[in-house]
Amino acid sequence: MSIIELEGIYTAYEGGDKPVIRGLSLSVNPGEYVVIGGPNSAGKTTLLESINGLVRITHGTASVCGLDLRRYGNEVRRKVGYVIQNFYFDPFTPFTVEEVVMMGRYGKMGLLNRPTRSDREAATEAIRLLGIEDLASKTIGTLSGGQQQKTMIAHNIAKEPEVLMLDEPFSNLDFNAREYLQGVFKSVAKKGTPVLLVSHAFDGLPDIRIHLVVMNKGRITYDGVCDAGEVESIIRKESGGGLRSSSF
Amino acid sequence: MVFASIACSILGVIISRMNLSSIGFTMSHAAFAGAAIGMFLEINPQMTAIFFSVAVAALIGPVSDKAKMAADATLGVLFAMSMAVAIFLVSYMQYSGRGLSAGSLLFGNVISLYREDIYALAAVSALTIIFVLTFYKEITSIMFNMKIAEASGVRVKLIYYILLFIVAISVSLTLNIVGGLLIFVLLVTPASIASQFCFNVRSMFIAAPLVALSISAFGVWAGFEYTLPIAPLVALLLTSVFGVSVLVSFKRRINYKKY
Repeated sequence: MSIIELEGIYTAYEGGDKPVIRGLSLSVNPGEYVVIGGPNSAGKTTLLESINGLVRITHGTASVCGLDLRRYGNEVRRKVGYVIQNFYFDPFTPFTVEEVVMMGRYGKMGLLNRPTRSDREAATEAIRLLGIEDLASKTIGTLSGGQQQKTMIAHNIAKEPEVLMLDEPFSNLDFNAREYLQGVFKSVAKKGTPVLLVSHAFDGLPDIRIHLVVMNKGRITYDGVCDAGEVESIIRKESGGGLRSSSF
Repeated sequence: MVFASIACSILGVIISRMNLSSIGFTMSHAAFAGAAIGMFLEINPQMTAIFFSVAVAALIGPVSDKAKMAADATLGVLFAMSMAVAIFLVSYMQYSGRGLSAGSLLFGNVISLYREDIYALAAVSALTIIFVLTFYKEITSIMFNMKIAEASGVRVKLIYYILLFIVAISVSLTLNIVGGLLIFVLLVTPASIASQFCFNVRSMFIAAPLVALSISAFGVWAGFEYTLPIAPLVALLLTSVFGVSVLVSFKRRINYKKY
């Protein structure tokens, strides 16, 4: 059974004169490694935010983790990990890496509940998985962009999500870090949690079958399974006869 | 003054981190306008101050959401409206010979408090502490980043609206003591002083009320001892301490050793 089931969805931002996503249908199964590609303004981030209930779906049906997204947005967000695209933490941000990673579980815990031993263990395990143990007691604002990125990924992995979505998670990372993280995401997918990755960097993709989704102008132009090595060429082809230089 | 310091400084830690510092002067002027309405209508000004503040607080979140504006912009609009209402009524009463002086509303009056006022302020301090302790994980999550908190499934709007409500109540009850213009100092300055020295949010929640409490206590003592106006004195003392703390803060110091 699909863990994400979107059927003819439309989404629009308030004040927008046309929908950002138009009649999109997508099905994602447990354990899939989904790469979402396409030119800028294709609607990739909006798709992730729709799946997380942060952007309102105006038409169509959407079910995530067995819940009707249009009715249970907050419940869906408790089950879905989402690493957002742009964040900046100023040097005076008074939260340590350890605290930020633990915060990933706060929604899941529910109101009034305190972190338990299993919450602390999940946070510690996420920190270990991302290899940021030596940063645990540092305040997040004093870290480099790449270290902040890893912290935010750990924040979402600590949540033990049923779906993990990442929007440009490699933007601040060098090649080694990208390759390492691809391995982390592969291990997450292997445990049955689908990983949805929006990216413009395809080096170091894990050597597994990839569910590739290519978007253009709010629609899916390609939805199929391919090898990691084919991803970039298919995206180039499906993005409307070669990508403009600004797209990559 | 003790209870006002505790409540305002704890709330100040939250609002200054959320870039909502202007909520201080908006709410204080909403309370000021509410009190002016009470005086104009010849009913209990404290009750009207609370009522008007809560009404303004209730507008901030929904108006920002509906208008898709930053809360700061909404606060600016509501601040201007509150100030206009207050000045309009105060001026009108002066022209019509009802002789209202805005002085007590602007600068407060620490020495003419009733027992009920003190009980109400104690209750607000307790409410603030209970609020922070009960929703500590949600509050810290929102203070870290509102969008990330929402994406994690934290009930951001619920906590945000409760926070606005508590700020409204605290400000309107504190109006009697430090006055509308100076509440802002208690809301913002202790938290700003704490932020110069504290590396984590837990210590800020402890340091800010301690700073506010000790400086307020000293201000009250000095005011009585040397017959000085207490509320402005406390505001000046807090601002001076903030100035010194910016100069001596070790947080911006570069701490590396040359090996």
